[in-house]
Amino acid sequence: MKYGLFLGCNAPAIRPDLERAMRLTMPELGVELVEMEGYACCPGYGTFPASDEIASLAVSGRNLAIAEERGVDVLVECGSCYSVLRHAAHNLRHDEEKAKKTNELLAIDNKKFSGTSQVRHMIDVLYHEVGTEKIAQSIKHRLDGIEIVVQYPCHTLFPSDVMGFDDPRNPHKLGELVEAMGAKVPRFSREYQCCGGAGGFAARSKKEATAFAKKKFDAIKAETNAEAIVVSCITCLMFMNNIQTDFGEGWETIPVLDYNQLLALCMGFDPKQVCSIGETLKVPAEPREKFIEKITKAAVPG
Amino acid sequence: MIDLAEANTGLWKDIVTEDMGDIRKCYNCGTCISGCPAAEGNPPLLIRRLVRMVLFGLEDELLDDETPWACVSCNQCMEMCPQGVKPFEVGLAIRRWQCREDETYIPPSLPELWEIGHTQSVHKQGELRKSLGLDESPPSVVTDHESMANFRKMLKETAIVKSAPYMFPDEEE
Repeated sequence: MKYGLFLGCNAPAIRPDLERAMRLTMPELGVELVEMEGYACCPGYGTFPASDEIASLAVSGRNLAIAEERGVDVLVECGSCYSVLRHAAHNLRHDEEKAKKTNELLAIDNKKFSGTSQVRHMIDVLYHEVGTEKIAQSIKHRLDGIEIVVQYPCHTLFPSDVMGFDDPRNPHKLGELVEAMGAKVPRFSREYQCCGGAGGFAARSKKEATAFAKKKFDAIKAETNAEAIVVSCITCLMFMNNIQTDFGEGWETIPVLDYNQLLALCMGFDPKQVCSIGETLKVPAEPREKFIEKITKAAVPG
Repeated sequence: MIDLAEANTGLWKDIVTEDMGDIRKCYNCGTCISGCPAAEGNPPLLIRRLVRMVLFGLEDELLDDETPWACVSCNQCMEMCPQGVKPFEVGLAIRRWQCREDETYIPPSLPELWEIGHTQSVHKQGELRKSLGLDESPPSVVTDHESMANFRKMLKETAIVKSAPYMFPDEEE
């Protein structure tokens, strides 16, 4: 099993511990990661998609062409990158005129979009290609007795006819991936609420975005015994981690981890490499370190 | 008070295309707003209101309205609209129209993308990346001189770069 790893912008620049976790865990599961040399931004919704549609399709199409040249499907963790690339591939496959204009631009860069590579999200590949059984067999430390809530990345759910690999009204696959490692994933009232971290909302309405997120965090604390939040989107990871510093005095931080980071810890990889950047963002390190210690001390199965 | 007699009734044709659904079928039910995080913003992003503004042809008001830029791009409104309108796509189309009408709307992230191919400095985190066991830089366009030159050559032919060339200086020349 081979995939072109599309890293986007935020993981390699701001949370390379997540990049390290992906690069260590996927080969353990039999997934070979192929480098997408020369890749650029997906491009993010606030850039070309918001200013020039054909330019946007060209920048996405160029990334997809790089995967096509290598004969691989694209593997993406970032929700926005997944949504942008998936929409672009869909539009280029179904709209001849847009595809023609896009390929005219791509020809300048000696590239061509043919539509042979699929865009797959990390949750999709882990759930449907790797499978929960293989994941359960790959870990050294089990999460038995630990409660973890999951954040379903909105960009991977809607619109389901283009994005779809999970039920948009009742997503459950990320939860099952966490349960495969022994953790309990409790349901709660605001389980499906978006983190609110992408796009201009949080930047333009800081106070309101903080209050919006706080409602979700309050529900987690009131209705569950979650010791961590697990996401599979770099925006959810950064936003849900960082926003907790704005919840005021006395707020007890809930550690936020990407699924591949949790997987890497359970596989026994060095926490300093795969789950270490939180404190540079002024989020107290202690709750995360305590959680990591609990995992690394957890029983080795068999 | 808004005088509808002065409105540009052909505005919708400048902004939306058929692949965004038929916005004339929007009956303002508000499904697109319920569950929209940015609808809780200040000012709120009210996509149904924007659709109305497009249909009524309220050109000046729409050009001054920055709320489409608050969208979190979750696409939930695309899933939920009972009328087959693609509200998220309409929001993007309004932003593109604003960029065409007023270049101050062109996002500052565009010149950044032109310069380094990314919205973050993926090539300037060498120390941190190495400390985690990673290569100094991901395999990005920014670290390959020839790829970067070809990437810019392509961008140079796009409508948006042509519309404001001063924002996209060519270091080579």
